[in-house]
Amino acid sequence: MTRRHALIALLVGGVALAALPWLLSDFLLALALSCVMYAGLAVSWSMFCGPTNYLSLATAAFFGLGAYVTAWAAGALPYGLAVLAGGLVAAGFAALVGAAVLHLRGAYFAVITFGLGELVRHAITYYEKAYEGTVGRIIAAAPESTTVYWMVLFVSLAAVATAMIVRTSRLGLALRGIGSDEERAQTLGVNARGAKVLAFALSAFFAGALGAAMAVRWTYIDPPTVFNPFIGFQTVLIAMVGGAQTLLGPIVSALVFSLLTEFLRLQFPYLFLVILGLLLIVLVLYLPGGIASLFVRRRWRRGNA
Amino acid sequence: MPEPVLSARGITVRFGGLLAVDSVVLDVHAGELLGIIGPNGAGKTTFFHTLSGVLAPTAGRVVVAGDDLTGRGPHAFAAHGVARTFQTPRVFKEMPALDNVRFGLEFAGRTRRHAHDAFDKAETILEFLGLADAAGVPAGSLTPARQRLLEIGMALGTRPRVLLLDEVAAGLTHAELDATAQLIRGVRDELGLAVVWIEHAVRVLMNYVERVVVLHQGAKIADGDPRAVAKDPAVVEAYLGAEVVV
Repeated sequence: MTRRHALIALLVGGVALAALPWLLSDFLLALALSCVMYAGLAVSWSMFCGPTNYLSLATAAFFGLGAYVTAWAAGALPYGLAVLAGGLVAAGFAALVGAAVLHLRGAYFAVITFGLGELVRHAITYYEKAYEGTVGRIIAAAPESTTVYWMVLFVSLAAVATAMIVRTSRLGLALRGIGSDEERAQTLGVNARGAKVLAFALSAFFAGALGAAMAVRWTYIDPPTVFNPFIGFQTVLIAMVGGAQTLLGPIVSALVFSLLTEFLRLQFPYLFLVILGLLLIVLVLYLPGGIASLFVRRRWRRGNA
Repeated sequence: MPEPVLSARGITVRFGGLLAVDSVVLDVHAGELLGIIGPNGAGKTTFFHTLSGVLAPTAGRVVVAGDDLTGRGPHAFAAHGVARTFQTPRVFKEMPALDNVRFGLEFAGRTRRHAHDAFDKAETILEFLGLADAAGVPAGSLTPARQRLLEIGMALGTRPRVLLLDEVAAGLTHAELDATAQLIRGVRDELGLAVVWIEHAVRVLMNYVERVVVLHQGAKIADGDPRAVAKDPAVVEAYLGAEVVV
């Protein structure tokens, strides 16, 4: 599939998804919103972590930062600009911390990115309490739920389009080289630090923008809600199960997972996290490359037969 | 005399109390085919690391085509035209062989041209190395000997001025080794590169290079024509001894 075909597919898919508010009930639209949001988060996570094999748990931090930008800017900025600002703040934050911690690898990087989320959460909690005298914030002027859906859809589609472009760009090649053998990539001329910081910030931009776009849905936000580590874990889970090396994997996986989560929550309210956890263990043990790896491997064999 | 493409000016590397490389001075000129030999632990690979920016020297300067790059990262060295291979082949295993070669062309080699523009295409480089049939095969599934060749291809992709080869002949059969040596000579002749070749298999190296440097306990103890160096008493004593006599 060429880039042009992929962009046409994206456009058609986007138009179809944009029509959903007229077709679905409120409940189903909320479900669709969750699918689209997680697709956007998983695709943006995979943009950096897929090719480089880094495991970032900072998604919740970027998401929460974006949400707080909306909360702080409520009334001062129009919704669209608040979303853009949320993305930019998250990207700036990612570039800053990325420059400091992206030389770490493996478990160290995962732990420190998780710690970052906690750090930001506590910093904001402290700031709000000490200087603003508040625990949470009420977002009074929230846009219509269909507007929120379209905004989240737009950001997610932009994330997919960006991921497509990155994959076929020199940046994408550099990231794959870094994931395979970072020092080798450097000796072939890749500025590994620059490439990693750029990609990390790019991926954070979309997580932040999605946080900013989603914040208005809650009407009341406080740090535990928007910095919920579950959002970060769920994103990683979706991307890894779908296959973070691929573009389509995380999207399909987001759809399946959001529906599955909702189904399990309704059917087994007490057991759903247990079931989800078991599912993850089985997948990590028996399918570490994600579900997409099944198809990739098969295609590979066929090509060589 | 023209400016050297690569100049090591008193390179010293110290790991704690261990002196791995001891004030080595070396000038490499365009078109030279230079060998570096030395017993295990002589500091050959460590010296290479400093020449390619993988390791910053404790003291001394590394100058590439007139630019002092001491302390800069490997990508800066690559951008200035220093390409290298590693002792154990480090190819991008999941990527097809063709992309492995294309990698250098896309990054370090982007702003330079080879003397021979046929080498500006990844396909041509693979063909030259006899790897044309492997273009679409993931590099990790090639035999170790072919991965070694591919590594040379990756280095050539960066359109280098100087090519650093770290034991490319290790583990090759005699015929393969002969072919590799011919190939390296061919690359040098065709592209006018400087080639610096580290080898443990001394005799091969002595047969193919035009100048040889001997490292012993981190220090340079000889530098010159291979036949003269082989007879140098200090070299014989330090390292060659029986091997040359036999």
